Amino acid sequence: MLRTHELTKTVNSQGHDLTILSDVSLTVNEQDTVAIVGVSGSGKSTLLSLLAGLDLPSGGEVHLADEPLHQLGEDQRAAVRAQHVGFVFQSFHLLPGLSALENVMLPIELKEQDRAKERATELLAKVGLEDRLQHYPNQLSGGEQQRVAIARAFASEPKILFADEPTGNLDTKNGDKVSDLLFDLNKQLGTTLVLVTHDDRLAERCQRIVRLEGGKVVADNASEALQDQAPQEQVSQDQAAEQ
Amino acid sequence: MLSMALRTFRRDWNAGEVKVLLFALTIAVMAMVAIGSITDRVHRAMGEQSSEFLGADYTFESPRPIDNALVERGLNDGLEITRSQSFATVLSRGDNFQLVSVRALGGKFPLKGTIEIAEKPFAQGVVQQAQPKAGTIWLEPRILGVLDVEVGDTIDFGAIQLTVDGVIVAAPGQASEVFNVAPKVLINLDDVQKANIIQEGSRLEHILFIAGDPAKREPYIQWLKSEKNPSQKITGGKEGTPALKAALERAETFLRLASLISVVLAGVAIAVAAGRYSQRHFDYSAIYRCLGMQIRQVHKLYLWQLFMIGLLGSGIGLALGLGLQSLIINQFSDFLPKPMVGISLAPVLTGALSGLVVLLGFALPSFLQIAKVPPLRVLRKELLPRAMSSWMIYLLAIGVMALLMWWQSQSLLLVGILLAVAVVTYLLIRLIAWFIFKIGVWLGKRGSLPVRFGVGQLKQYPAFTISQISAFGLAFIIMLSTVLLRSELLSEWQSQLPEGAPNHFLINVQEQEVEPLENLLKESNVSTEGIYPMVRGRVVGLNDMTLEEALDENQQRVGAVRRELNLTWMANVPKANKVTQGEWWSEADVADDRAELSVGEELAERLGLEIGEVLKFSIGGLEVEGEITNLRSIQWDSFQPNFFIIFEPGGLDGFPASYITSFHLPVEDKPVLNQILRQMPTVTIIELDAIMEQVQSILDQVTMAVEFIMLFVLLAGIAVLYAVLQVSREERLLSATLLKALGARKKFIRASILAELVLLGVFSGVLGVIGGEVLVNILYSEAFDIDLVLHPWYWLWVPLISVSFIGIVGWLGLRHLLNQPAHQVLREY
Repeated sequence: MLRTHELTKTVNSQGHDLTILSDVSLTVNEQDTVAIVGVSGSGKSTLLSLLAGLDLPSGGEVHLADEPLHQLGEDQRAAVRAQHVGFVFQSFHLLPGLSALENVMLPIELKEQDRAKERATELLAKVGLEDRLQHYPNQLSGGEQQRVAIARAFASEPKILFADEPTGNLDTKNGDKVSDLLFDLNKQLGTTLVLVTHDDRLAERCQRIVRLEGGKVVADNASEALQDQAPQEQVSQDQAAEQ
Repeated sequence: MLSMALRTFRRDWNAGEVKVLLFALTIAVMAMVAIGSITDRVHRAMGEQSSEFLGADYTFESPRPIDNALVERGLNDGLEITRSQSFATVLSRGDNFQLVSVRALGGKFPLKGTIEIAEKPFAQGVVQQAQPKAGTIWLEPRILGVLDVEVGDTIDFGAIQLTVDGVIVAAPGQASEVFNVAPKVLINLDDVQKANIIQEGSRLEHILFIAGDPAKREPYIQWLKSEKNPSQKITGGKEGTPALKAALERAETFLRLASLISVVLAGVAIAVAAGRYSQRHFDYSAIYRCLGMQIRQVHKLYLWQLFMIGLLGSGIGLALGLGLQSLIINQFSDFLPKPMVGISLAPVLTGALSGLVVLLGFALPSFLQIAKVPPLRVLRKELLPRAMSSWMIYLLAIGVMALLMWWQSQSLLLVGILLAVAVVTYLLIRLIAWFIFKIGVWLGKRGSLPVRFGVGQLKQYPAFTISQISAFGLAFIIMLSTVLLRSELLSEWQSQLPEGAPNHFLINVQEQEVEPLENLLKESNVSTEGIYPMVRGRVVGLNDMTLEEALDENQQRVGAVRRELNLTWMANVPKANKVTQGEWWSEADVADDRAELSVGEELAERLGLEIGEVLKFSIGGLEVEGEITNLRSIQWDSFQPNFFIIFEPGGLDGFPASYITSFHLPVEDKPVLNQILRQMPTVTIIELDAIMEQVQSILDQVTMAVEFIMLFVLLAGIAVLYAVLQVSREERLLSATLLKALGARKKFIRASILAELVLLGVFSGVLGVIGGEVLVNILYSEAFDIDLVLHPWYWLWVPLISVSFIGIVGWLGLRHLLNQPAHQVLREY
C-alpha cells in the first residue's frame, strides 16, 4: 500500500542545509494501522507530508498505491490523493464557508463519485451528527467538528487514511470518542491508517509504532505487531471497560 | 516608546492591514480635499456676494427701452447707474463668423467688482472699472481665434467697423452667462446706434446697473419695483439668487454627497482593516502585558501606530487631492467663472483633518481594544477583550463626520439633510445589495462544486460581502447613469435633427428685409418653410380677469405666462401643426373687431383654456385681446419656428414685428451666410450645428467630472475589497491548502476563486444596473419628461465590466493562493 525507500528531506535555512528526515525506509501493508511517534521536531509531520504526497522528498522514493509520488507533479499527486487518501487534522480544518454536510460531500465530489449527498448523510449519521447536517463549523463544538472531519476523511472510501494528532485539540472525553470512531470506521471499512501522535494511548491502539528521533527511525515494532495482533484487541477492550 | 512604535510600524508594514488602512485613508482624504477645494474655489470665484457677480448691487432688465425718468430719479438720489443693452449678434471678419452676446455699456462698468482686460489672449490683464471707447470692442479670447483677429484689427459690426482694443480676461456677468455658449463682447453703447444693428422688434434686453449706499438704494429699488411692469425684472439683493448659482449649489450638494459616500466606504474599509489589525495584535498585547507593560503603555504604543498611519495617509491623500483638483479646474477653465481664485486653506485643512477624524472614528475603537486583552490570553487563546458593538462604532464615526461637516458649513440643517440623504442612500443601496446577495446565493447553491465553493466564501462574511457589493455597485450606478444620460441627451438632439432638418435660424429680420431675403435664399437654392413675423408680448389677462384672479397657483407658474412670448399671425395652419379642436380661420372672415387666436393644445391644457375664452396681451405697453377659436398640436421637434399662440392675419397690425425663418444649410454652403449678413447686417444668425458641437463638448467635460467622482467611489470599493481579503487571508490560505490535501487540482482552486470573484462582480453589476436604471428613469421623468425607458443592452455590459474589473483586481489579491504548498496544511493555524 505504502512504501518508502531511503526517504530524505533537507531544507535550506539561512544558507545552511538542514536535514529533517534521513533515509527512512518503511513498508505499510493494506489495512495496517501505524502510529508515527516522536518528540516535537523529530520529523513526524514532515514524514506524514511526504507519505501523503503533500510535499516532495529531497531524496529517496515514496510509493502510494503503486504510484511513485516522488516522480509526480503537484496536480498528479493531488489526483492520487483524491483517489486514495483521506485526512484527519489536529485543528479539524473544516472549510468554514461550507456546512457539515457540504464538508463531507467535498471529497466525494472531488473524486467525481455519485450519490454524494446520501453517502455524506449516512457517514454523518455514523458519527452521530445526523441532526447537525446544515450546521456550519463555527456552530459546532470541537468534538463535533472533529467527528465531521472523520466523516469527511472516510467519505471518499480512501484506501489509506492519514491522521495528524487527531485528538490533540480535544479534551480526554471527546478525544476518546473521536479515536473510537476513527478506529471503528477504519475497521469497518478496511482502511489503512497512518497516524502521527504524541498521545501514547492513541499510539498503542495501532498495530505498529514507528518512533522517530532527529529525522531517523529509531524504533519500529513491525515484526511483533505482525506476529501477534492481540495487543491491539487488548487495548480496545481495556478502553471499553474504562467507559 | 517611540522607537518601539517605529519598529512595530515597520514590522506591520509587511502584513497587509497597514497598507489597506493607509490606502483607504488616502482615498478619503483625496476625495475630501479634491472635491472640497473644487467646490470652494468655484463658489468663491462666483463671488461671495451676488453684487460682484452681477457687476452691481441690482440690475433692472427690460425688453423695452427704459424710461429716462427712472434713471434720472436714481441719479438724483445719489446712486450710480450705468445704462446697458444686451443682445445676440454675429461678428464677422472676412469669411469668419461668430455668434456673440453683446453687452453695450453706456458708462462705467462694473459698478461692483472689476473687469480685467489684457492686450493678448490668455495674458495677464489690467484690472479696471471702465467702458470700451466708442469705435472699439473688447472680446473674449476664444473669439479671436475663430475670427482670426488680433488686438488692433478691425471687425465688422453691423453697418460699422470696430477696432479690437482688448481681450476680456474676467468680467462680471449675468447668472445665465456663465454656461452661455455664445462668447461675450463689450462695446460702447453709442456704437449700437451707429451700427444700425437694432431694429424695432429685435430681441434685446435693456439693463440698468445700479449701485450705491443701501440707505439711498433700497428706497429707490422699492419704488422701482412698484413702477415696473410684468416684463421687467429686478435682480440683486438677497432674493435674487441667479438661477445658475442655484444650479451650482445643487451640483455642489451632489459633489459633497459623492465625496461623503466615498469617505463612508473608505471608512468601512478602515473599520474592517482596523478590526483585523487589532485581532492580529491581541497576542502581542497579551505578551507585552505578561512581560510587565501597563495598559497605558500598550495604548500609547498602538495610538502611535494610528498616528503614524494618519500622518502618512493624510499627507499622501493631501498631495494627490491637490493635484487632482488643479487638474480638474484646468480642464474646466473655459466654463468656470474668471478669474479663478487660488486654493484656500480651509477646505484643504478640513480634508486632511477629516481624514484623521475618519481614521479615528472608524479605527480607534478597534485599536483601543488591543490593550484590553487579558494577559491570560498567553495561556488561553480563546480569551478576547469585550467587543464594542459595530453599531456603536458607526454611530461614533457618523457623529464625528457630522461635527466636521457642521464646522465646515456652519449650517446644522444642511448637515442634517446631507447626512440623512447619505445614510438613506447608503442603506437603500445596502438593502438592494442584500437582496441580490440572497438571491445570488440561493441560485449559486445549485451550481457546480467550484461555484458552490465561491458562494460559501462569500457567505462566510455576509456583511463584508454586502459592503463590497454596495461599494462597487454604487460606482457602477454612477457610471451607468452618466453614460446613459449623456447618450440620451445627444441622441435626443440628434434625432431631432433628421437629415435635411433646418440647422440655421435667422432672427431679427426686418419687415423691409423679408423680400430681399426671400430672393437671396431662392437664388442660393436654399429652401425654407416660410418667413414668419414675430411680435413679443405677454399674456396679462383671461376673460376680463387678471392672471392672478383667473389662474390657480400652479397655472401661474407655467413659463408661458411668466415671460414674454413670441406671437405671430398666419393665414394658414403651419406645416408641423394640426388643428385638434375648433376651426382655423378662413381668409374671408379676417379682422372683425376681436382677433381670433389659435393656441397650442398643451399650453391650453396646462392653463385650462377652452375655445371661446378671451386672452389679453400686453405688447410694448399696449394691450390687445383675442378670442380662442381653435387648438393646435405642435410638433416641437420639427425645428421649424413654432409658436404657442397664433393670431389671425391683421390681429397684430400696428405692433413692431421682426421676422424669423429657418433652413437647412450644408457646411459647404456656409458662404451664403456671408451674403445674408452683408446685405442685412442686423439679422442674427443662429448656427445650431456649431451650438450642438459646443454643447457636446460641455457635456463631455461634465461627464468627465462625474467620472472623477466615480473614480473615488471605485477606489473606495477596492479598499473595501482588499480589507476584506486581508480579513479572510488566513482562512483562504487554509482552504486552498486543505483543498489541495483533499486532492483538488490547481484548476479547481482557480475555478473556485474565479467563481467567487465573478459572483461578486455579477452582484455588483446587477446592483449597478438596477440602481442606474432607477436613477436614470427618475431623472428622465423629472428633467426631460421622458417615459420609462429600459436599456437591456447595458444589463449585459455593466455586469460584464463589473466582472472583469473585480475579477482582475481580486485576482491580483488572491492568485498567491494557487501556489500555496500543500504541506502547509499540517502547520498550526
